[in-house]
Amino acid sequence: MSSPRGNPPPAAGGSRAGDADSADRPPPPVPASGHPAGRTGWVEWLEQRLNLTEIFSFLTHFGLVYAPIDRSRPVREVVRELATQPVPSYARGPRVLGLLAAILFGLEALTGVLLAYYYRPTPEAAFESTRTIVRDLPAGWFIHEMHAWGAYLLVAVVVLRLLRLFWDGLYRAPREVLWWSAVILAWLVLQLDFTGRLLTWDARSYWSTVRGMEVVWALPVVGPVLAFLLGGRVVNEDVLIRFYVLHLLVLPAFYLTFVYLTFSTLRRVGLSPPADSGPEGTVTFRHHLYSMLILSVLLFGVLVTLATLLPFGFAGPADPYSTPLGVRPPWYMLAPYALFQRLPLPAWVTGLLLLGAAVAVLLLPLWIRERGVLEPRRLRTAGVAALAVWAALSVVGMLIDRR
Amino acid sequence: MAEPMPPSPASTGESRRRFLAFLSRAFLSLWAVGGAGVVGAYLRAPERRERVAERLVRVGLLEDLRIGEARLVRHGTTPFYVVRLDGSRVVALAAVCTHVRCILGFDRERRALVCPCHDGRFDLAGNVLSGPPPKSLPTYAVSVRAGEVFVHL
Repeated sequence: MSSPRGNPPPAAGGSRAGDADSADRPPPPVPASGHPAGRTGWVEWLEQRLNLTEIFSFLTHFGLVYAPIDRSRPVREVVRELATQPVPSYARGPRVLGLLAAILFGLEALTGVLLAYYYRPTPEAAFESTRTIVRDLPAGWFIHEMHAWGAYLLVAVVVLRLLRLFWDGLYRAPREVLWWSAVILAWLVLQLDFTGRLLTWDARSYWSTVRGMEVVWALPVVGPVLAFLLGGRVVNEDVLIRFYVLHLLVLPAFYLTFVYLTFSTLRRVGLSPPADSGPEGTVTFRHHLYSMLILSVLLFGVLVTLATLLPFGFAGPADPYSTPLGVRPPWYMLAPYALFQRLPLPAWVTGLLLLGAAVAVLLLPLWIRERGVLEPRRLRTAGVAALAVWAALSVVGMLIDRR
Repeated sequence: MAEPMPPSPASTGESRRRFLAFLSRAFLSLWAVGGAGVVGAYLRAPERRERVAERLVRVGLLEDLRIGEARLVRHGTTPFYVVRLDGSRVVALAAVCTHVRCILGFDRERRALVCPCHDGRFDLAGNVLSGPPPKSLPTYAVSVRAGEVFVHL
């Protein structure tokens, strides 16, 4: 289904219908049917050697195209048809946070590769090499700040996207996979942020990681397993190199996998119908692309502004034998941190509660379906209340360490 | 397989097929278990646990330690403080807070170890004076041999 409202656009037949009638078409893509016969550009040249549509279909699985693509047709035809495909006109602004996440991830990947050319992941060299990048290399500070601010925005976007999906009830059948991948993507982004902030090995990032590791460690069962994977409870060179590998290889690979999964399920179930279905129109995919482009330009502008006007500071190299004053865990860990510090319960009970909450969020589609007692509005209220509690706890966690 | 087989050849073949399927799955699972074990053993961080020789730490000459002053010994993952109380008595305490693993600071006036993270305080016997730490601080045995201070971790 290419469109939620089930209107029958020409291309909505999907791959199955395409396969069915591909029998009476000349088999694979030979000189395209829709083209002047004399024209043989490089696309056609390649098309006789590769299934370009298959490659195009694979690439668009990581973004943009929400409808299945008929892989037995020539790529020019597919692209031309795609541009005129209807897309619900509500799909812009806050409703396409996934796209912002994709752009930001691309930006993080690009700046990350640039940073990795000079970065050295050892306790002796980590801070020095970061300082070299930021202070000595031409435009190094800009790349570093873009990476750091991009990470902040990425976390914000991914969390907001989760809230948006919750608000519009997009975890209900058949969108369970969408919800699961959104939750896991949010989790992966937090992990990327957590592993990334240690790498600069300056005093603040080091001790903030130590404090964060304590929160992770306090979770029952999961804590020791994660600590095992991360190389132990004490943050030393073993942990640094593991964070480095996780940050550069493992977590991005998982992230891409789940982006792929997101688009796979989107192509199957289609874009969501608007929550309060009014008589909203549809626009063409081309129109949709332009609004996406405008959005990403705006995003880039915000990012450059932040990176230039509000650069992150450095707090000197980390010394594992002296704790500076007033260091907090990373901000997204403040709420669990506050619970661990202030709740008059044994740590494992608190940890169990937190784990239970996390699993409940992940399995939301299942227990909503089974219980079915909460109507959408009350569920939204409950969600807002939970968010308010989380925010309040974060403030408490922030105040614990104020001296 | 001990029970008498039904005579029908088809069902005999069926149960043999099932048994063989089970067997091959079992062997494949053994591979999985072995592989997981190897990867797990490889991933296990080389714990920097002190060997016996490293458990006896030479801190320095006794006369270099001033009375009432603390010295932070940066010893691997177990840094500790050595405090000279008077002419002959020297104590050694862990420098890692029992609460959130922050490194303690030494407050010379009050003769206490103070945590910069949550203001937990310990006296020089390792007892919690105030603040959130749940446990008292580990203390280590100190011996002075030929004017040199050794700490037994």
